[in-house]
Amino acid sequence: MNTTEDHKILEGIVTGNEVVITTFYRKNLPYIRQYVLQNSGNEEDAEDVFQDALILVYQKLKTDSLELHSSLRTYFYGICKNMWRNRLRKNKKMIITEKLPEDAEIITPTVIQDIEYKEREHVYRRHFLKLSDTCREVLSLLFQGNSMKDIAHITGYSEGYTRKKKFECKRYLIEMIEKDHAYQELQLNPEKEL
Amino acid sequence: MERTPEIFDKIEGYLSHTLPEEEIIAFEKELAANPELHEEVEKHRALHKTLSDQDTLDFKEKLMQISTTIKEEQDTTSTSISAPYWKIAASIAILLGVGMLLWYTYINSFNNTQDLYGAYYEPFPVEDAMRGNTNNEEMQNIVKNYAKGAYDSVAVMLEKQPNLDNQLRLYLGNSYLNINQEEKAVSSFKDINSNGKYYEVAKWYLSLTYLKLNTPKKSIPLLKEIITYNGAYKDKATKLLKALEKNR
Repeated sequence: MNTTEDHKILEGIVTGNEVVITTFYRKNLPYIRQYVLQNSGNEEDAEDVFQDALILVYQKLKTDSLELHSSLRTYFYGICKNMWRNRLRKNKKMIITEKLPEDAEIITPTVIQDIEYKEREHVYRRHFLKLSDTCREVLSLLFQGNSMKDIAHITGYSEGYTRKKKFECKRYLIEMIEKDHAYQELQLNPEKEL
Repeated sequence: MERTPEIFDKIEGYLSHTLPEEEIIAFEKELAANPELHEEVEKHRALHKTLSDQDTLDFKEKLMQISTTIKEEQDTTSTSISAPYWKIAASIAILLGVGMLLWYTYINSFNNTQDLYGAYYEPFPVEDAMRGNTNNEEMQNIVKNYAKGAYDSVAVMLEKQPNLDNQLRLYLGNSYLNINQEEKAVSSFKDINSNGKYYEVAKWYLSLTYLKLNTPKKSIPLLKEIITYNGAYKDKATKLLKALEKNR
């Protein structure tokens, strides 16, 4: 079932090929948008689900753990739908027009667990990418394990300013995450840590 | 639990195993006794784990850019279909069979300036001082909406404010630019005091607004002014000016 075409797309995703990803995006977003809009979501929800599902595929490819038992398209739609159903359930807005999930066999329990487990990560990334360039630079270096001294050296800021920035940016990031509804719902309905 | 630089340093030291042995023991004792601290450490741990994966972050950023590009293309298509004066002008050109060349040149220059605008415009970023230091709830709301790109709400909220400082005028101007109210953006940027630290920034955004309005002739003197000012925007202004002069 895994055609040459699918192989090309998967290779494009893992190597970050913009043309391949853009084509995939254009072709498949309308279907997911329609599904999400029909099931209590809006445009932004659809785009979030689409991007987060693509990230899941990307991460699975990177760790060599993608098991395709169907076409990529069917598999990807399965992930998106499960992800959206999961978010609705957490949000207590579960009104799904479909009676039965049509993708029970394609999306295995492991993938469903993965979707759950990754939810919090999507929230973190979304907020991190909204930070100012300075905050992102300082925090990225921190997350990669650099000391304040190293960060100051790399960025050219003084050590005192770096430490101040690091604190302000990280505190702001945590506060933004805590205020996010999706994060609050995850706290109320904790995921099973794998 | 109050978040302080000292607690953050301690947590980070603990997570990166750089605390001295005796401090680790003391910190672990505290962790066992203080569930709030424990929760805070877990938050930091999760953040560090997720956000140290730079590849995935880059991938997410790429997806966001692709999404923006697709949306912009769709907007351009729908604008060009719905703009009646374009249709009329195009119809006249086709019907009369004259002026085709002129029309082509105009469209070409329009696309070029729009491409340049697209390449150079980035919303004025939310300044960190603005995020942290304002206690006013309404102002925090404005900053939050601006940061997440809800420009229509920002414009509505800022229009209600009686006295805008230069920084807020910049936010307002940028919001107008993003909701296609360029004339209002021009006024907001022009209102910015020429003595303050936002002088150069305001000139830069004003020059981009003129570009968006397809009046690059008005952008050029502003860019020259920015270059003479010799500040943070000099490089960008030099490049843009070169590109504009090439197009003329």
